[in-house]
Amino acid sequence: MSAFWYYVFTLVFVMFDYFILAMGLNIQYGETGILNFAYIGFVALGAYVTGASSLPPSAGTGQQYIMGWGIPFPFNLLLGGLAASLLAVFVAVVALRRLRTDYLAVVLISFSLVFYDITNNYVPLFNGADGLYNVPEPLASVFKLTTNSFVPFFAVVAGLIALIMWWAMSRITNSPLGRTFRAIRDDDGVAAALGKGVFRYQLTSMLIGAFYAGVGGGLLVQFGGSFNTSSWLPAETFVVFAVIIVGGVGNNVGLLVGSLLVETLLIHLPAFLPDIPGHPGLIQYIDTMVVGVLLWVMLWFRPQGVVPERVRKTPLSLLQGLKSDRTANAEVPAMSLVDGAGVVEEGGVRD
Amino acid sequence: MTSGQIETPTTGGSEGAALSCQELKKSFLGVAAVTGATFDVPKGMITALIGPNGAGKTTVVNILSGMMKSDSGSMQVGTVDVTNWESHKIARLGLMRTFQLSRELGGLTVLENLLVAPKHQAGESLFNIFLRPGLAKREELANTERAIEILRTYGLFDLRDNRASELSGGQKKLLEIARAVMAQPKVLLLDEPMAGVNPALIERIGGYILDLKKQGVTVLMVEHNLNVVEKICDHVIVLAEGRTLATGRLSELRANPEVVQAYLGEVINASTTR
Repeated sequence: MSAFWYYVFTLVFVMFDYFILAMGLNIQYGETGILNFAYIGFVALGAYVTGASSLPPSAGTGQQYIMGWGIPFPFNLLLGGLAASLLAVFVAVVALRRLRTDYLAVVLISFSLVFYDITNNYVPLFNGADGLYNVPEPLASVFKLTTNSFVPFFAVVAGLIALIMWWAMSRITNSPLGRTFRAIRDDDGVAAALGKGVFRYQLTSMLIGAFYAGVGGGLLVQFGGSFNTSSWLPAETFVVFAVIIVGGVGNNVGLLVGSLLVETLLIHLPAFLPDIPGHPGLIQYIDTMVVGVLLWVMLWFRPQGVVPERVRKTPLSLLQGLKSDRTANAEVPAMSLVDGAGVVEEGGVRD
Repeated sequence: MTSGQIETPTTGGSEGAALSCQELKKSFLGVAAVTGATFDVPKGMITALIGPNGAGKTTVVNILSGMMKSDSGSMQVGTVDVTNWESHKIARLGLMRTFQLSRELGGLTVLENLLVAPKHQAGESLFNIFLRPGLAKREELANTERAIEILRTYGLFDLRDNRASELSGGQKKLLEIARAVMAQPKVLLLDEPMAGVNPALIERIGGYILDLKKQGVTVLMVEHNLNVVEKICDHVIVLAEGRTLATGRLSELRANPEVVQAYLGEVINASTTR
């Protein structure tokens, strides 16, 4: 396979992977209104658990890590997703129950920094700053894949997983559960006054979003074969935010567009370009600035994103099923403020 | 809500009262907003909560609906002591509310605002979404039909697919009441439902409230429009300086010098000499 196609399939993988990550953050932020600035921490945990659970025991590998169970794909990926969800329960119980909006965001970003420092410095956990490497390529031995053929293969696998997760997410966001999430996003006080246990729904949203983060992280570690702390600096969370803000908060199609525009074309594509002579790394810096400016421009001029959240209209089939006299406003009942008139007597309330 | 919940034997709560409170007190940074609110809201009637600005009416409504905790005192929905319960738990007993300044769910359509309201929907469970989709779909269909019926009643049918944030002030007031009705309330707290709406709409809202009474819903409404109070309310509670000053029929309260001095005063005189 030529270098060109290698790059193309790498970009395709990145697009699908960030689509999954964006769906996870979108259900938390776009649908439920939880400003999760620790999102990248959940991605990292999913990546580490997926990688460490698929590696053999650490003794003799030159690395230090927990687990080392040699769990095959896709079970290691599921484990990564579940581990991230477990972390979400902890984070939700600690932070979500009592804090809202800005305060919650501050606590979550602090949490992300603490998790980063622990992982970076406590080597026995996930090999410290060196991170995990030699993570097995999933199904490579089953399909006798080479390093070259693994890239397109796994891009397709990531695409299939993204498709399944898109279907599942659409089921959730189009259900009464998704509607309740959006009600909480719009006004959690009103949702509570309607009998919705806001914390329970926020916890559910965090669990779902964290699972997506964990799976997205798990795919990353298996695609690259390695993962270390430089891959998930807390600022990376804002890249995923950029994906959903540019694409369209609350719209799954918009997330795919955002993933293509921001992560694939603006961040990863330039990484394959040759350096400007005499200015190594300059392209990446320009790249970061362009993403920042794009985010700024979008928030200023088109905060709803490229593909805005759609209005969920009454199903036509339902309206057609109604009798014709039911498709118009009813006659309006009225009291009368004029003395001696109608409804006042019916109510029987005159003093 | 289940009837079993509301029948749970507890302390407090007067017989015949859908909602009661005793000696509710609430201060904000040392400023006393409610200093002893004690009253019963009779079951199946429309009760007005009136009083001058700053009397603590909205604070009392916030406490009764669980959106604010009281510093002391107690309250009951039916016979269930709900003192300082969280608002969603109180709502599940059948107590719904609207707000002084409309709080529509702006990103949702008008129809969706109503569809959020029913409690314990099958489609709110991940298990049902993926493993019992038929159950969730059937319930959603029934809820949608009911919501459309309510929208027709409240004259909002044509706006069903508009985002709630696009409605006018009066339409938002109607939407809030319709949303509360969708939740099948036993007790409905209306915080100034007529505030800022035109006379024609005041009449309509009054009609809806009378209609709810006929359906057996107990209503407690904060209201400044004494003409409306006189026409539709069976019972009146006067709150002044954070405490219950008097309760009774408006005609009785007109003769109460304390009430006249604290609130009614010129308003009553003006309306009776009209």
